[in-house]
Amino acid sequence: MKTVFRQRGAVLRLALVCWMMALFAAFSPAHAAGEAATEQVVRQQSQPLNNAPVWREVRSGQEHFTLARGPEAGVLIQSEGNTWRQWRNGPITQYGGWLLIIVPSLILLFWLVKGTMKLHDKPTGRKMRRFAPYERFIHWGTALTFLVLAATGLAMLFGKHVLAPIFGPGFLAWLLTIGKLVHNYVGPVFALFVVLMIISFLRDNVWQACDAIWIKRAGGLLGGDHVPSSRFNFGEKTWFWLGVTFLGLTVAVSGLVMDFPNYGWTRADMQLANIIHGVSGIVLLTLAFGHIYMGTVGVEGAYQSMKTGYVDETWAKEHHEFWYHDVKAGKSGHPQDSVTGARS
Amino acid sequence: MGRMKFLCDAERCIECNGCVTACKNENEVPWGVNRRRVVTMNDGVPGERSLSVACMHCSDAPCMAVCPTNCFYKTEEGVVLHDKDMCIGCGYCFFACPFGAPQFPNGPAAFGDRGKMDKCTFCAGGPEETGSKEEFAKYGSNRLAEGKLPACAEMCSTKALLAGDSSTVSDIFRDRVLRRGKGLEAWGWMTAYGAEQKEGAQ
Repeated sequence: MKTVFRQRGAVLRLALVCWMMALFAAFSPAHAAGEAATEQVVRQQSQPLNNAPVWREVRSGQEHFTLARGPEAGVLIQSEGNTWRQWRNGPITQYGGWLLIIVPSLILLFWLVKGTMKLHDKPTGRKMRRFAPYERFIHWGTALTFLVLAATGLAMLFGKHVLAPIFGPGFLAWLLTIGKLVHNYVGPVFALFVVLMIISFLRDNVWQACDAIWIKRAGGLLGGDHVPSSRFNFGEKTWFWLGVTFLGLTVAVSGLVMDFPNYGWTRADMQLANIIHGVSGIVLLTLAFGHIYMGTVGVEGAYQSMKTGYVDETWAKEHHEFWYHDVKAGKSGHPQDSVTGARS
Repeated sequence: MGRMKFLCDAERCIECNGCVTACKNENEVPWGVNRRRVVTMNDGVPGERSLSVACMHCSDAPCMAVCPTNCFYKTEEGVVLHDKDMCIGCGYCFFACPFGAPQFPNGPAAFGDRGKMDKCTFCAGGPEETGSKEEFAKYGSNRLAEGKLPACAEMCSTKALLAGDSSTVSDIFRDRVLRRGKGLEAWGWMTAYGAEQKEGAQ
């Protein structure tokens, strides 16, 4: 008889649990919350003093009921924040910091040893148009916004380790108040320039057969001679795809996630965005050091091409021989206003 | 000097939100900011539990560790405070805090224009001159300087929310647990004060 009662009790309990489950499946917006609550109900009956299901839920990071308004106000403990802290204050600050010291030092060392890459022949005085005004506008727009973002971003990550000990915490706070404002508003402008850059430079950055030669001879490092290439050599193409396109878009998107906080995403998303932003930003800046070096003191005449848009024919022949021939043959695909008439 | 801590007794909290109101009233907190909030788990289900949560004034405070301007500081009583003049509103403390304590007057505004962070001060004011108008305007009441405990805990109708010196709070809670024989979870204590306990054990 007793067993029958016990069985009946068990059946009733099971029915109650099923009913509660059905109820919660129907009414609870989050199914997981319903399951946890069901577990809670069962536990209250079997072990009235054991409140473990509640305490498990505390660390789950899920939203509970609260009257408070605000992003994720219903979450009691979010554990991801600590992971984010470890990543940001640990490897990103330390390895990132070393990378940003070592790479420019190596570039400086390279320059001191090898010096500026000069033209072999004398300049002809005849100029070729290398960059259209709109291309130069997009380039300098990207470059300037990037430099502003890099400076303010570095101050935000390394300021308290580098600037505060020298200039004091008051100065750093003043600098970062402006820096954060600038970073947050210039960021979307940079993102726009990156997109324009990708669109306008895409055509000449696709793979060409001559890129294989460039790779084989490591861009002229092996053999010492200039390697013939199209409008952009493989080094420039790598910078375009890896730097501008991949890392540029990565920093832009991850930056926008943080620039518009809680616009449909959580702290965990913004923490991830911050880590991605930090890593890709530091790598992008490291690559940019190389690009800036090649575009200024590294190669004679390179800076003039982006400043004025024109290069000397000798420069074109020595650095981008196939492009030179394409232009001469009128096959470059870009309008030339100086192929016939020299422009000084 | 004691070590100030909060403890919310989940067996006693009745979700009256008295602490929230007391805090807002005492500190004249900016619009849209709730330094303290009450969260209910399994609302409406037998065995539901409510907890009042605000800044726990952690031993190894994550907000302090990630702040780019180092605007946080810790008082001798272990209260974590910050200097609003140095706050840039980057939101990193909000990313890092396990308890969701840092609040921003502008809320989640576009272009990260959150305004200066505001959080529970354990009713201990801020870096401005104690008891000054500036201190009250920026940080709210400095009850600790007047020898009083935080308004939220003093106002708590069921004495679920305890605030004060760690050893006193622990004694009260331990006594309660022994008497009722249940509900021994000191919510959030391992998260907030775990690091210090480890150090003390060494």
